[in-house]
Parts: sequence; C-alpha cells; structure tokens
Amino acid sequence: MSARIGRRQFLVTGAAAAGVLAAPPILTRVWAQGSGPIRIGVPTAVTGTFAALGAQVVRTCKLVQKEVDERGGILGRKVEFLFDDTQGNPANCVRKAQEMVERSQVNLLTGIMASSEALAVSAKLQEWNAFFLSAINGAGELTAEKYVPNFFRANTSGPMGARTIALYLKDAPEKTFYAIGLDYAWGHSSVGVFEKEIQRAGKEFTGKVFAPQGTKDYSTYITKIRQASPNGLYVAMTGDDATAFYQQAAQFKLGDKLQMVTELVDILNLKPAGDATLGLVGSSRYTSSIDTPENKAFVKRFEAEVKDVPDTFDGEQYQALQVLFRAIEKAKSTETAALIKAMEGLEVTSVKGKVVMRECDHQGAQQGFVVKAVKRQGVAYPVPEVIKTYPADVITPPCRKSSYS
Amino acid sequence: MSARLAGPAIVAALVVVPPALPVFLVTTLTEVLILGLFAMSLDLLVGYTGLDSFGHAAVYGLGAYTTALVLLHTPLPLPVALAIGAAVTALIALPIAWLCTRTTGVSFAMLTLAFAQLLYAIAYKWQSVTGGSDGLAGVPRTPGPLGMTWFTSRLGYYYMVVACVVGAFLLCRAFVRSPVGTALLGIRDNERKASALGYNPRVYKIVVFVVAALVGGLAGALYAPFAGFASPDLFFWLLSGQVLVMVIIGGAGTLAGPIVGAAFFYLLEHYLSGITDSWALVLGLIFIVFVLFVPEGIWGAVRRGASVS
Amino acid sequence: MELTAFLVTQSLNAAALAALLFFISIGLTLIFGIMRIVNFAHGALYMLGAYTGFSLALLTGSYWLALVGAPVIVGALGFVIEAVVMRPLYRREHGAFLLVTFGLALVIGEAIRLGWGPEPRRFALPPALAGSITILGDPFPTYRLFLAVFGAVVALALWQFLERTRLGLLVRATAQNAEMVHALGTDVHRVRAGVFALGCALAALGGVMAVPLVTAYLGLGVGVVVDAFVIVIIGGMGSFVGSIVGSVILGVVQTFGNYYLPDLALAAVYLAMIAVLVFRPAGLFGQRE
Repeated sequence: MSARIGRRQFLVTGAAAAGVLAAPPILTRVWAQGSGPIRIGVPTAVTGTFAALGAQVVRTCKLVQKEVDERGGILGRKVEFLFDDTQGNPANCVRKAQEMVERSQVNLLTGIMASSEALAVSAKLQEWNAFFLSAINGAGELTAEKYVPNFFRANTSGPMGARTIALYLKDAPEKTFYAIGLDYAWGHSSVGVFEKEIQRAGKEFTGKVFAPQGTKDYSTYITKIRQASPNGLYVAMTGDDATAFYQQAAQFKLGDKLQMVTELVDILNLKPAGDATLGLVGSSRYTSSIDTPENKAFVKRFEAEVKDVPDTFDGEQYQALQVLFRAIEKAKSTETAALIKAMEGLEVTSVKGKVVMRECDHQGAQQGFVVKAVKRQGVAYPVPEVIKTYPADVITPPCRKSSYS
Repeated sequence: MSARLAGPAIVAALVVVPPALPVFLVTTLTEVLILGLFAMSLDLLVGYTGLDSFGHAAVYGLGAYTTALVLLHTPLPLPVALAIGAAVTALIALPIAWLCTRTTGVSFAMLTLAFAQLLYAIAYKWQSVTGGSDGLAGVPRTPGPLGMTWFTSRLGYYYMVVACVVGAFLLCRAFVRSPVGTALLGIRDNERKASALGYNPRVYKIVVFVVAALVGGLAGALYAPFAGFASPDLFFWLLSGQVLVMVIIGGAGTLAGPIVGAAFFYLLEHYLSGITDSWALVLGLIFIVFVLFVPEGIWGAVRRGASVS
Repeated sequence: MELTAFLVTQSLNAAALAALLFFISIGLTLIFGIMRIVNFAHGALYMLGAYTGFSLALLTGSYWLALVGAPVIVGALGFVIEAVVMRPLYRREHGAFLLVTFGLALVIGEAIRLGWGPEPRRFALPPALAGSITILGDPFPTYRLFLAVFGAVVALALWQFLERTRLGLLVRATAQNAEMVHALGTDVHRVRAGVFALGCALAALGGVMAVPLVTAYLGLGVGVVVDAFVIVIIGGMGSFVGSIVGSVILGVVQTFGNYYLPDLALAAVYLAMIAVLVFRPAGLFGQRE
C-alpha cells in the first residue's frame, strides 16, 4: 500500500470535505427561539417499520399548523414544524433531535415514536436545555424511575392502558385469563401490570407467552393459548405484529372460544385484519368516538381535511399540541425553564376530556377509555366505540410509579 | 508541501479547525470519526485479509455495551471504561474468531452474521443487564481523578476521539506493514501458496480478527458515551451491512479509504434524510451509479486522479 | 388438547411454515448458485411481490390472478435489473454486487412506500381457502394446508425442471462451471438473466403467499433476508435440496422450539445455524468451494 498523498490530492479531498460539512447550514436559516415563529421539532419515523404510525403524527401536526395559522398564531407567533426521519432507531433519533436543538435552535420536541428513542432523548434533555412532550411513548418508567424534569407526557401511558382494561374486566363474566405480549419492553410491562391488576380483581391468571417482534407465524403461540383454554386472552401487541396475530387468530377461530382483550385498539390494526377483529374489547388511548364537543369538532375538521378517520396517535398528538400551546400561552414564552414551570399543574380540556399535567412526575392525568370493535354503517372495517370511561384518579398511577400497589 | 506531511497536515486540521466550527458540526465530525474508525477496523478483515465479515456490528455493539455498563455501574473514569470496552470485545472475539476462521468465503460471512445476530438476541432478551429493547440510556462521561474533566465537554470528547482514531490508525498502519500484515496479504491473494511458504493461515486470520475486534470495539466504546446510550440496534445486521458498504465505497484495502467511505455514507444519509422523505431512493440510486462508474472506491479514484496529474 | 392432536396440529403448522420459508429462500439460493452473488435486495423483492399481489387482487378481484401475476411482473423486473445493473459487473469482485443489491433494496423499499403508502395492505382469500377444517376436534385454517401443499408442488416442479429439462441441465451446468458452458457455445448471460428473473419471481411468489398471514407492510422485507440467509446456509449455499431441507429444519425448530423454549425464539435459528456451520462449514448439502 502506498501512503503517499500528493499535495493536489490533499487539497481536493480537503475542499470536498469542507464543502460537505459547510453546505447544509446554508440551506436552513437560523431563527432564535423567542421571536419569529415557534419551531417544534418532530423527529419521527417517516420510513421503516413504524412508518404508518409516523404518518399519523405528521398529518396531525400539519393540520394543527393550519388551525393555528387561522386563529392568528400562538402569542401572535406562527407555528412551524420541523420533521425529520428517525426510522424508529434511537441512534438516528438522538442525532436528529440534537441537530434540531443545536443547528436549528429548536428547544421543543414531540412526536418521537419508539420508547427506546424516547428514553435515549430524555436522558439528553438537560444537556441540551430542551423540552420534550411525549404524545406517543407508553413506557411507564419515563415518568417514574427514569423521570427527568424536562420530560412531560400528555398521552395515556402503557400501565394506564393496562390498568383501565383490567378494571373493566373485574365485572366481566370471564374468570381465567392468559396473556400474549410482544417480546420487548412495552409488551413485558403491559402484561406485567395486567397480571397484577387482574389478580387483584379476583380473577385467575393462567399464564403468558411472549413473541419476538416481526414474528411471521403465530401458530405455535395459538396452540399454547388453546391448551391453556382461558376464558379471556390479553393481547399486548401493536403495529404490524398485532395485525398479523389477529389475522391468524381469526383463521384458527380462536375468538370462538374466548374473549380477546387488548391494551391498545388502533384502527391501523382493525382495518387490515378486517372482520377478524369484530368484538375485540380493549382500552384505547384515543378514539374518534369519544363523545365531547372538542373531539367532535376535531374529528369533523380532520375528516374534511385529511379524508380519513383520526386514529390513536392522531388524537394523542393533537391533544399533546393543545397542551403545549396552552403552556406556551401561560408562560408567555417558549423558553425551556419557563415552559416547565407553566406546564406543571396545567389543566387543559382537550379532545380526550380534561388533562392535568401533574407536577410530581409530569404525567398527564386523564380519563381511561374502554372500546369495542363494532360494525358501523358505511365503514368497511370494524371501528372502536367507547363502551366505558374511567376517571383519571383511578387509572393514573401514584406519583413517579409505573405500578398501582 | 511534501507527501510525508499530508497525514500530519490532516491531523493538524482536525485539531485546529473544530473550535471555530458551529457546535453541531463538531458533533457531526465526532460521529463521522467514530464510524470511520469502525469501518477501518472492518477493512483489516475485508481489504487486507479477504475475509468478508457480515457481522462486524457485533464488535461495535460489544464495545458500546461494555463501556456503557462500566460507566453506569462503576465510578471508573471514561478513558478506563473505553479501554475495558475495547479489551473485553477483543477477548470475546477470540473464541468467535477460532470458530469462524474454520470457514471461508460466504460461509465465513454467514457465520459472523450468525454470531452478531446471536449477540443481538442476547442484548434484546437479557433485560436485567442490557435494558432489553430499550437499551441503556443516560451513559455518563465519568471524569477522571485529579480533576481530569476535559473530555466531558463536547470539544474535549471530540479531541478524545481524534486521539483514539489517530492512535488506532498509526497502530493499524504499523500492523499491516509488519511481517504479519505481509503474510495477511499473501493469504488474501493466494492462501495455498501462503501455506506452502510455511505460514499457518488460520493463526494469522485469528490474529487479524482479534485486532479488528479490538479496534472496532474501541469505536463502539467511543460511541456509547458520545450518544449517551447503547441499544440492540448496534448489533443488528443492518449496521453490519452498512459498514461493509462504507468500506467498499471508500475503497477496500486501504486504511484511509474506509474512513472516507464512512464520512461519505454518513453525511449523505444524514443530510439527504433532512431534505427529502425519499432519501432511501436517492441513496440507493447513488450506490448503484457509484458501483457502475467508480469501481475502485472514492479513495482509489482520488489516488488515480492524483497520479494522472 | 391431547398429545396426538397436539402433534398433528404442530406438524401441520411446521409444514406450512416450512413452505413459507422455502418460498423465501429458494430464489436466493438459485441466484447464488449460478451467479455467486448474495442478493441483498431479496427481501425488498419479496415485499414488492406482496404489494403487487395486493394490487392485482384489488384490480382483478381474483386471488389466483394475483398469485400468478405478481411473480410474472416482479420476474420481468428482475430481468431488466439484471440487464441494466448486474451485467456490467460480472467481471468485478463481489463487493460490487453487495453495493448494488444494497442500493436496490433501498430503492425498491422506498418506491413501495411512495407507491402504496405506509398503511398495511391485505386481500381477501377465495372462499375455498378462507375457511377452516376440523382436525381432531380443533379448527385448522385451510389456507395453511394449501400453503404446505402448494410449497411441495412448487418444490417438486422446480426439481423436475432442474433435473429433467434441457434448460435445467444448462442451469446446473452453469452453476458448476460457467466457463465450460460458455466454451460449449451457450450464451451464459442469458442463463444468468433467466435465473435471476426466476429468483425474483420466486421471491415475489413468497411475498404473495405471506400476505394472508401477515399482510403486506413496510417492514416485511427486513427480517426476510436474514431468514433466507439462515436457511440457505444451513442447507448449503446454492443447493436446491439444501434449501428444502433447511426450510423444513427451520420450520420444525421454530414451531416446536417456540413451544417448549419460547425464551430462545429469537436466538434458536442462529444457534441452529452456528451448530451446522461448525460441523459442516459448507452447510448440509453444500460443496466446499
């Protein structure tokens, strides 16, 4: 190997490298946060496995931007969203979020998808002096063991969802329950909370099994569930894995012998799995069927503009942004410290009803919804309908806890 | 400027320029250098020995997790944690090297892939230690004794990385120029002939595998306190594929080529994805056009251009 | 559930899974056998098959047309890809193929996202396949039986093609020694193009077959390449029989392994692969290079 590098060649490489490094900042103008538009960073999953969920975040943010423009901005300032693709990977997410903070002077982050991403970003917030409002992340520890002052959660957490459905099942006829969860942090925590809560409700918990993400064939798990022959099956799955499971469970006619319940009912699963999910009962973080004037107005506007029914993360992202704007108005500022102060104890009535951002752990205390997948006229797939609502104080965990004991 | 000064000139630029750069560019440069180190370590296998590893993410992940665990659970300072990360990676790589070098060609590639995926599965399942799918967040840059805190700042950490990369580069250069390196090239070009000359190819392959793991492990070790976390994706086969692409794009069989390739790949992906949602489409097309028209890699093309003039 | 019923159900499950895995792996091994390249775009082509099948089913209303049409379309695309980007590279080292197929995977994946959007897609099965039959007291999906039978039929047909036809002989001869075939006056390029197209078509067939189980979604291709690698390596790179045996082994390992040791689900296939390679570095049916 020759290590001789000519002078000309060094200059060429050097110039090229400098060009690559220097060009991008020219492309984006830099605003100081404090005057000009309010800039909100949304490092979310535009491509990759979570793309369908990321698409909900993006379309709702765009809708909200339009709404804010129409009402003349927040504090007279326009709102701008900076979207960037993380592919659902924490390494990308930290990088993109840091770029937003350091290059584009954004201090407000939201719309982050995976809990691994949220935990990685959350640990960096103080160093960046940035503020992160979760609209999606369910991991209980974000407001418990891994609490940081710059993180707030406007959405229903995983433990809150599991608690809601367990409370509902207390009065249900089913006596024995089995659980299947996705083999990663959220699946384990969801099944864990459900197991405790359902036993507390006096029911029998007969076993659990975890399937890796991306499992193609659920037949073995279905065999296991059949052998246990419970009255009810708790499903802690999301995304494409949930769709695949519901579809295969229906092919095995699993629903004939037991009632399926879940922590998370998404149209995203109901739609492709079709009638396979009819009768599915579960808790819901958000559904378009929530009966409040705020929600009806949102759904109407959403359907007119986006030409689709708002799904779970549409509603959650919308609520989070309403909370954020109210805090900005209260603080009369978008500075991180002022915003944290304004956010603590903030009470907002949003599409899901009343939300109180607790001072003690920054979790949004809010109602819990139980829904059932039913046929609705004019819609080709089952849609979730609210069948029961639980008040915030029974479903929100004690401060800085992710369990209820 | 004489040719001998080109290397020192680049290093001098890496030392002098960054304080004048916007902060985010320092962050970007740090990550580019870490990835460059990672790609360079793979090229010891691919370019110098002809061993195509499809599982090089294994050593990156091992270095990152080991260092993250040391920093999270012990009071040991950052430099020690880095050294432990690299050393543990090399140690774990030894038995894997012994097994993998029983095979050659595609089988070798797939066996390395299998070990990397196995480590991925372990990182994913062993929740109490590795944090499972959430990984380990909040990795600190523990300062050393006697008020050694310079490497905890952004710029300080950057210099730490520069020092590691330059040191590793010089070490690797000495390694490939040593008799061992010559033997490796002989094995790459004609394994039978090398055996006939009295070399035991297997032993040399194990040695280079472990050296590559040490350097790649150091890259992973540097990544964890840089990003502040470690997650199972660091073991995933996609990263193994990406780093192989970096080596090929930059030009296999040189030490500088992979670093250039890493910079090219990383900056292209990062900035394209900031400009368009369809970055993957553009990136993919660039790769294809690249293969068709720049067969010898960036570094090779640059050298050819230099020698023509 | 009693033991007999358990064993019968699980064996059928294993057979259906093996068939699915066979579709995933066979194209990869055929292409490797003849071109000595590892096709990283295989997963993307598989996913493209699933989405193309969805659109065909939507357009024509016929599952069967989708089943035939998607492989034909993706196979034709493979033919074009071979001619435009592969052919100039045969004299180059395999790093070039790695880069090209990696690039193709990115391009196809993003093209799918642009064309079909991020939402998962699914088509309805014809009534004959949509129901279930009762096996020893429990319902078993007809589609899984169809999958197992269809997999066996395709495997048999391919085997007959390779063993009994002149074209098949040419393919095997090219895999053994391309230069000799060329010297005997056959256009090796056309054989390669044909096999590459066939490999792409088989990947697409696998994709269509998978939709009724998992839907067509954007992450479909990611895990598939690695699964296919594992099977092909266990069976032996480039070996047709090896691909079948590898699929069956993996089908059984996953079906029974996930039952008895669910915690090992993620690692089991890799452990199996390492075990095989340590004892037989060329795979069960592979020849030493």
